Amino acid sequence: MSVRDDLAERVGVDLEAVDPLRVALYATLVGLVAFYLSPLESGLMTALKTEAEFATSPPFVPPTVEGFTLEPFGVALDTLSSAILNSIMLAVPATVLSALFGSFAAYGLTNFEWRGQLGVVALFIAGIFIPYQAVLIPLSRLWAIVDTQSLLAPVLDITVFSAQVPVLGTVELATHPHYASIINLIITHTAYGIPITTLLFRGYYKKLSTEMLEAARLDGAGAFTVYRRIVLPLSMPMFAVTLIYQFTQVWNDLLFALIIIPSGSGPAAVATIALNELTGGIIQTFNTQMAGAFVAALPTLLVYVLFGDKFAKGVAGNT
Amino acid sequence: MADLTLDHVSKFFDDGGSKVVAVDDASVTIEDGEFLVLVGPSGCGKSTTLRMIAGLETVSEGEIRLGDDRMDNRPPRDRDIAMVFQSYALYPHMTVRGNMRFGLEESTNMADADIDELVEETSSMLGIGDLLDRKPGELSGGQQQRVALGRAIVRDPEVFLMDEPLSNLDAKLRSQMRTELQRLQEDLGVTTVYVTHDQTEAMTMGDRIAILNDGELQQVATPLEAYHRPANRFVAGFIGEPSMNFFEMDVQGDELVGDAFSYDLSAKSAEAVEGSERVTLGIRPEDVEVIGDAAADHAYETTVDVVEPMGNENAVYLDLGGERRFVATVGGMRRVEAGESVVARIPEDAVHLFDATTGETLQNRSLESADLDAPEANL
Repeated sequence: MSVRDDLAERVGVDLEAVDPLRVALYATLVGLVAFYLSPLESGLMTALKTEAEFATSPPFVPPTVEGFTLEPFGVALDTLSSAILNSIMLAVPATVLSALFGSFAAYGLTNFEWRGQLGVVALFIAGIFIPYQAVLIPLSRLWAIVDTQSLLAPVLDITVFSAQVPVLGTVELATHPHYASIINLIITHTAYGIPITTLLFRGYYKKLSTEMLEAARLDGAGAFTVYRRIVLPLSMPMFAVTLIYQFTQVWNDLLFALIIIPSGSGPAAVATIALNELTGGIIQTFNTQMAGAFVAALPTLLVYVLFGDKFAKGVAGNT
Repeated sequence: MADLTLDHVSKFFDDGGSKVVAVDDASVTIEDGEFLVLVGPSGCGKSTTLRMIAGLETVSEGEIRLGDDRMDNRPPRDRDIAMVFQSYALYPHMTVRGNMRFGLEESTNMADADIDELVEETSSMLGIGDLLDRKPGELSGGQQQRVALGRAIVRDPEVFLMDEPLSNLDAKLRSQMRTELQRLQEDLGVTTVYVTHDQTEAMTMGDRIAILNDGELQQVATPLEAYHRPANRFVAGFIGEPSMNFFEMDVQGDELVGDAFSYDLSAKSAEAVEGSERVTLGIRPEDVEVIGDAAADHAYETTVDVVEPMGNENAVYLDLGGERRFVATVGGMRRVEAGESVVARIPEDAVHLFDATTGETLQNRSLESADLDAPEANL
């Protein structure tokens, strides 16, 4: 009895029956998983190492006991905390507003009949295909002309919020000029998000039963009541889709932030901009950069975890 | 409570510049508490008519009145009507209770407690009292149908509109709901307009039926009147299952001459066809007599082509030679075999005569009872 046969008998598998193609397939799959996960793994390992340890070991190797540190995360949090707060103040309203307006627009464009409707739909769709680069100069000109800060001065001239937040330290939302920039960014992102959210909602609303909406009208509900009591509750899966999509878009955006926030940084800096402050000048501090990247990516990850199941439902078109 | 009147109502659609007539000058008065069935083939305009009454479609010409109040210019919510849709159109995210409450919440100022009481009452009347906290997705088709009915009934409207409400149910449940719906309507006494393409529903449910074809109202009559005294060839062919047999024939004095056979007319019938060159002779399958010998009047030699046994009766397809077939029904106990030669008699008192060009009725069959002539007759 050969060694091979002996082995086959012991593990209870007929090695002759193993299809080499399947072996190749699984080997390729494992290889691809390693390929895609290795940067993430290397990043995480780097973020947990001291600079000395980083210099002496390959990036993907886990830190030794003496080379292990959480300090990069501390540095990253210190540097990024106010920027992350700015990003949240930007991304949450921009996401909610663009989803809500997209839903309104889609309802009006899909569930009602009016003259010239298709032309307006075409304009919305065209909006999706306008490259961001093409609007950078008009955008910066626009926000140079519109002085949001003095426009909103009567409203914003109060201390909005002040609290001790664990991890982030003292958080104070008061009247700072930089909020004007954040509001400009919110408006811009909302506007540029509306075409795609409208298109997503429109596809969804087309599948709503016309008879059901008519039944609601006959039951005495007006257009807005039908939206509030029938269409809105039924759109929740699509809201999950647009919220995740828009949140990721707005959170990860660097281009608009660089254009709209004066001098590109300062107190109004959002997370994507502030990440640059972790580069450490001439000597690259890779560990803090990696930690910063993880800290900045955490909110998007959380959104996916929170809305993931609804997201799947919405994409599958399940009402 | 009041009559619902459609006064010369028309509906035109614009189809790429050309005008399409969906409903052409329809006039009918539905009396208070009456059950009117609108019946016709697909695309005949029956649903459009119903949707105009509901206010879901605008009226192109004419008026719709409830009593003396003109209502075709009012939005649906101000018409005091409730509609049951073919797809039930329930609100999937609301419970049965929520579905039934919705209309009352939106259209009345009733207190919550009163609404609850009304919903409980209506749902137990319909036998869905124990389903109130379920969502439509958890209910069977028949239960959803009852919820849809309950949603309409609970609002206690002036008029019920029903758009093929039973067509999504299986055959057994459909006939059960048919009876139940009739009883409900009778108890509630609410004026009802019921749209269907199913002529069994039309015959069995309606106080009167309105037959539509190509947007034109063909006849408004009691079911038996439409059956025995059709206004034209379309109604004669549409009402009844299996359909009436038709033969196109030339008028030659007091004789009708067709491809398959000639038919002698009595003096009375000959008078009726006077002035027409071509007529259509109609005979209902149950009036064709299948007999043994050809000596009788109006009897013709035929070959049995196909026999469809239904249990209570057999539908027998007879061949007059040269692929000219017609159908006769005979008792279920009578044995008729395909291929057999039989004699079919077409008795003159059961014959309908129509103008071949216009389709207008020239003479209907004679009836022993004069009941049908009296409009108030209890049929």
